Amino acid sequence: MAGAALAGRPVSMVEAVRRARQAAASYRGIWSWVATVDHKRIGMLYAVTAFTFFLIGGIEALIIRLQLAQPAGGLVDSDQYSRLFTMHGTTMVFLVVMPLSAAFFNLLIPLMIGARDVAFPRLNAFSYWVFLFGGLFMTASFFTGNPAGGFFQGKLGAPDAGWFGYAPLTLTKFSAGHGIDYWALGLIILGVSSMAGGFNFIVTIINMRAPGMTLFRMPVFVWMTLVTSFLIVLAMPIITVALFQLMFDRTFGANFFNVAEGGTPLLWQHMFWLFGHPEVYILVLPAMGIVSEVLPTFSRKPLFGYPFVVFSGTAIAFMSWGVWAHHMYTTGLGSVANAAFGVSTILIAVPTGVKIFNWMATLYGGSIKLNTSLLFAVGFIAMFTVGGLTGVTHSIVPSDYQQQDTYYIVAHFHQVLVGGALFGLFAGIYYWFPKFSGKLLNEKLGQAHFWLMMIGFNVTFQPMMILGLLGMPRRIQSYPDGMGWGLWNMVATVGALAIAVSIMVFMVNIVYSMIRGEKAGADPWDGRTLEWTIPSPPPAYNFAEIPQVRALDDFWHRKYAENESGVPVPVVAGGAYAEEPHGDGHGIHLPSPSFMPLIAAFGLPIIGFGFIYDYALVAAGAMITLFGLYAWALEPASE
Amino acid sequence: MTAPRFPFRLLALATLLLSVLVFSGCGAFDSAQNTFSPKGDVAALQRDMFVLVLIPATIICVLVFAALLYIVVRYRQREGDPLPKQIHGNDRLEVAWTILPIMLLVGLAVPTVQGIIELGQAPKASDLHVTVVASQWQWSFQYTDPEYALADGSPLISKELHMPVGRKVGFLLQSPDVIHSFWVPRLAGKLDVIPGRNNQLRFDAQEPGTYSGQCAEFCGIGHPAMRFTVIAQTEDDFQAWALEEMNAQAP
Repeated sequence: MAGAALAGRPVSMVEAVRRARQAAASYRGIWSWVATVDHKRIGMLYAVTAFTFFLIGGIEALIIRLQLAQPAGGLVDSDQYSRLFTMHGTTMVFLVVMPLSAAFFNLLIPLMIGARDVAFPRLNAFSYWVFLFGGLFMTASFFTGNPAGGFFQGKLGAPDAGWFGYAPLTLTKFSAGHGIDYWALGLIILGVSSMAGGFNFIVTIINMRAPGMTLFRMPVFVWMTLVTSFLIVLAMPIITVALFQLMFDRTFGANFFNVAEGGTPLLWQHMFWLFGHPEVYILVLPAMGIVSEVLPTFSRKPLFGYPFVVFSGTAIAFMSWGVWAHHMYTTGLGSVANAAFGVSTILIAVPTGVKIFNWMATLYGGSIKLNTSLLFAVGFIAMFTVGGLTGVTHSIVPSDYQQQDTYYIVAHFHQVLVGGALFGLFAGIYYWFPKFSGKLLNEKLGQAHFWLMMIGFNVTFQPMMILGLLGMPRRIQSYPDGMGWGLWNMVATVGALAIAVSIMVFMVNIVYSMIRGEKAGADPWDGRTLEWTIPSPPPAYNFAEIPQVRALDDFWHRKYAENESGVPVPVVAGGAYAEEPHGDGHGIHLPSPSFMPLIAAFGLPIIGFGFIYDYALVAAGAMITLFGLYAWALEPASE
Repeated sequence: MTAPRFPFRLLALATLLLSVLVFSGCGAFDSAQNTFSPKGDVAALQRDMFVLVLIPATIICVLVFAALLYIVVRYRQREGDPLPKQIHGNDRLEVAWTILPIMLLVGLAVPTVQGIIELGQAPKASDLHVTVVASQWQWSFQYTDPEYALADGSPLISKELHMPVGRKVGFLLQSPDVIHSFWVPRLAGKLDVIPGRNNQLRFDAQEPGTYSGQCAEFCGIGHPAMRFTVIAQTEDDFQAWALEEMNAQAP
């Protein structure tokens, strides 16, 4: 604890705030970001980094779409194409949607539960740096992974076996370059980041809630973060084990997946999807949490059926462990297994439906402010409905035998991950941007972004459903003329370009609004949750005084009381309940900045390079990480 | 009505759009891998099961979209609107929209399980037996029934899959290298060809014709071109072809 508190001397509120400001300002400029342990700054680092990877993954997607626009396209060859789609999938899942969600966890969880930071601020910084280095490590494979030549000779070195990397195609016999090594080691490193983050948020949410914030007074976003964090810490070890097995096969000639020596390729698929299906909900549940915050605020009504939304979220998380084999209907598991997983997949539609109905009921009878954030949230509901219903069509196993590995599947999961997760995340960006920048995002540009993206999205992905039903398989770099696929592929490519334009509009909006945006004030939306009670942008210490929570949507109830017929009436200042008389204050405890998380994280990609090039680097990387961890353990948490 | 022009223009636009869709749909209908134009029993069952779920899914989708659009337009904020009544939930509604989907989904689950069992039948002795060997990046079809054995006992081998119309063919799928997937969209859904496993599939063709097959599991750089041709012919034509090939391949 802070020195003042340890010494037992009560410090006045003013003095405590002054000291906290001093501690946060002890590093300046770029160093203050490098050494930061402030959850808000880490959140912003996550957001900016993930968005940068989003642009990279987006460029990969555009090359794919341009290649497929016409039959027998000649932009990239089959080798380059396979590396592009592998990295597109891997990047979007592990380097974009997961870390964007982590950005929201970081920015919002302490503010929403009335805490000054997460439970382990330096571990939080460590998570970010591991994510950054892991992402850079994996992306470096483009340049360094191909022994046959370099990036600029057109020899891409990225992994080439698809984002789910089915063995035995990933073994050295079939993928000789270093791409798969980068992929496997990169994912292991990223797993460390996700696990550390997951544990951090579980402990934060369980232990650090402000007095009075019982579990069922937590905002739904906090609930979904908790559920997602549990999924992360349970799912990541499974893929980590699978990746270790793969690296054993590749590096040391082990035989987990090598059929010639009695290995079993299907082992990989079971491990991967046992991770992979919960992963889908790791990607989507945070967006569901965001939408559950955005809709009530802009309908000016509480969330309809709060406990049902929370329980259906947790039900989805539990059920997500029992559906993995629906990715494997065509592997020949047999009728009984296919029937069991078909039925469990059908059932997971129920809690998803409950959520959609509750969100619609939240809007119903409201006073809906049609701004960009709300449009994205409504777009999320609509597109996620399509994603969910196409999901149900997959659970009809006999018809899935036709659709498996076709563009119908591609269309389905983009409905869920773009129309779902990404739309939800954009709703959140427009909603909370003012809180962290102090500026409102421009509405005109925002709505242009939304409509361009909504139209572009549908023009891109709905034709893919038709393509799938017309028998176009995934992952083909070219297709012959006369299959009836040319038109719809061209349409999809045009849609993808529209999405690209919408993203440019978004970037213009961010820059424009940062410079010339309207000032936001603490509570621009007449919000319901605790983050709107503090200034925008929030001070380093978040809350000068830890709030007392008395209700779900506590801040709303401080502003409005309900009359007998349920209509809210504004509370005259201080009318709802008197503020607790506060004592001298406890001295605001803020953790000190530290370089050690960065150093500890920096060793990990060095170890990765070591496994590919020279074992001496493994030792060097391990030394760096160990040094970072020891120095971290020995430095005082705050001076 | 003061402005009858607007709906007309909308109608004209809709008609245009629809005709574009239908036109391109027609052009594509006989396309080589259209799962909506099945030529075998298995593909027909799979198409029917897709339609079975597509209809309720489309209805639900349209209802949700319509309700969403209505709610957002009807309850959009207008200048000077008072704060709305604060409704926190309704247990009866929650029960209703939990139970109703379950009933609908159980309705879908029953034919699903029936379909799985129907399609999961192992090949029978009376079927034509073909071993499919998928390797990077080609297909080979071996006719393993004794009547198609060559003089040295090895099976008749073909790069194209010939099969007699109206007779079930039992396929044994084998791969010497990586995972492939055996798929003839107009005859049957796919089944993976996994090294170390002996997956079996059973389907038929109902009309003579040439159909297109394609590997459906990414298997390396040759994957896009890993295609094959299926020639479904009458029993007599098939036997004639087999005889001719056996003579040609005689050791």
